Amino acid sequence: MKRWERLSATALFLVGIGGAFGAWKIGFGSFQSPGPGFFPFWLATLLTITCLVFFLRNLGADLISVSLWTKGSWQRPAKAAGVMFIYVLLIGQLGFISSTALMFVAWSRIVEHSSWKSAALLVVCGTAGLYLFSTVLAIPLPKGFLI
Amino acid sequence: MLEMQGLLNGFALAITPVNLLFGFIGAVLGTAIGVLPGLGPAATISLLMPITYALGSPLTSIIMMAGIYCGAMYGGSTTSILLNIPGEAASVVTCIDGYKMAKNGRAGAALGISAIGSFIAGTFGIIALTFIAPPLSSFALKFGPAEYFSLTLLGLTLAAFLSGKSMLKGMIMAVFGLLLATVGIDPVTGSLRYTFGTMILMDGIDFLTLAMGVFGIGEILISLEEDMNAELVTTKIKDIYPTMKDWMESRWAIGRGTVIGFVVGLLPGGGAVMASMLAYAIEKRVSKTPERFGEGAIEGVASPEAANNAAASASFIPMLTLGIPGNPAIAMIFAALLIQGVQPGPFLLVEHPDVFWGVIASMYIGNVLLLFFNLPLVGVWVQMLKVPYSIMAPVIVMICSVGVYSLKNDIDDVFMMFIFGIMGYILRKFKFELGPLLLAFVLGRILERSLSQALIISSGNLAVFISKPISAALLEAVFLMLLIPIILMMRGGKQGNNPS
Repeated sequence: MKRWERLSATALFLVGIGGAFGAWKIGFGSFQSPGPGFFPFWLATLLTITCLVFFLRNLGADLISVSLWTKGSWQRPAKAAGVMFIYVLLIGQLGFISSTALMFVAWSRIVEHSSWKSAALLVVCGTAGLYLFSTVLAIPLPKGFLI
Repeated sequence: MLEMQGLLNGFALAITPVNLLFGFIGAVLGTAIGVLPGLGPAATISLLMPITYALGSPLTSIIMMAGIYCGAMYGGSTTSILLNIPGEAASVVTCIDGYKMAKNGRAGAALGISAIGSFIAGTFGIIALTFIAPPLSSFALKFGPAEYFSLTLLGLTLAAFLSGKSMLKGMIMAVFGLLLATVGIDPVTGSLRYTFGTMILMDGIDFLTLAMGVFGIGEILISLEEDMNAELVTTKIKDIYPTMKDWMESRWAIGRGTVIGFVVGLLPGGGAVMASMLAYAIEKRVSKTPERFGEGAIEGVASPEAANNAAASASFIPMLTLGIPGNPAIAMIFAALLIQGVQPGPFLLVEHPDVFWGVIASMYIGNVLLLFFNLPLVGVWVQMLKVPYSIMAPVIVMICSVGVYSLKNDIDDVFMMFIFGIMGYILRKFKFELGPLLLAFVLGRILERSLSQALIISSGNLAVFISKPISAALLEAVFLMLLIPIILMMRGGKQGNNPS
């Protein structure tokens, strides 16, 4: 796990360094009159320090090699993330309800490998539910060239 | 006496048909979603929060959210007992004996004692809330910016300290959450911070977008790696009311669980998860027959379930009186109140006594409703557990998307929610606790405001934080919190270096 801990510490350390630099540029101000970057600067500095300590505490080799993902376990989350991003891109073009129907089909077939029958059932029930939900709560869902 | 007067007024508000109806709907929806594996109270509230926005009245909204929260706490145990998958983190230990009882044909007794224990503990917690909250609120009126800064800092430190195995990781998440809260327009100077020249970040990060992302979407992505279709105990559930023998065996367990849960629930970051685990450990320790634990001991269900419900009620105290939410679910209720124009904290009792007492009264009512509806509706919850996760997951994605979109009618928010979902997934994979991140995000504005005010008032003199007795005491507690892990680390290092 130490290798992964070092990796996460490094990533957040870089966020801290970037955050501190960005906060200084916005305007630190002074203790008497704090500027917009005053609070973020101290936070980013604290993030950098804690990440550095975390990194140093995880130096050395692992006694047992630990992997965050077992073989192929990342595939379904990756596919689901892909489906979600395409979904959000389509909402503006096709409208909320149509793109939700497509998302259901893609999720069932690509992520879950379900049958066409269960995908169709999900589309019908899910979109009907969405329509009712948005009507009851009076949410103006975006419409595309379909519905 | 004032408490009784306030409480009676609260009941008068809570039993209006509209509030009663939404309290009931909240409790049923909370239980229904809380029953689903992988969705805890925080995710349940975030999913259902858009519904409460549409209600308009802050009182009705918080009544509904309190119902959702308590319902989700009840619902989590059903999944643990029947499916051996905790419906929420606080029910993890309920799986151990609850599922064993179900396997032994005593699912009804396990569900029954869980509901009754939860009811007793929840009611005790609310009674204590009724009498502790007003004096604590009056005391907190003495707080100035320096005291608020120190108190918020203590809350965050405790949250990091109690959040998981590593305090350092908890601290990193808390600081990261605070940093995320600074994104957008600076409320004092109007300058843009960390927007990277984009319009999407100009308004800052919305709490619900972050919460639904890390808790809703992140949870789904993690669940996709696991097999969520575990074996459901399908034997007919009968005899849900405990026998005299069950009652005699579990009465002290419920009592101990209630007290432990209440005390732990008061601590920021402690909450229901820690309370249930501590209660189970203590129950096993004090038992004359500890070998029964893990084999279907009814005390192993009664104690943690009582503890997590007492903790759930207790966690309202710091939120309503000090304005410090103790756990992610309460943080969501806190954020929802802010959006409705109500600032939780010491002034809540003065400025919005209707909200304050209405919530407490509705919790009494909600607890009774949950007891009377949950047991007869066990069959319905079991049916819900039969819905495969392959159907639930895309439906949850849809609900999250509609919920976030409905905030500002902006698709960019949906996009950001998915980004936070992936962030939540990655952070979970790296074993970071997300509770401190969300708590810090909510408290970020309060911390920044109180720090700036204290510094301006004192002309930049940092001694303001230690010259005031309350602030100094709170900072001392923060210092001690930070010192404990360092001492433990050094002692551990010494022992590790000692060859013997």
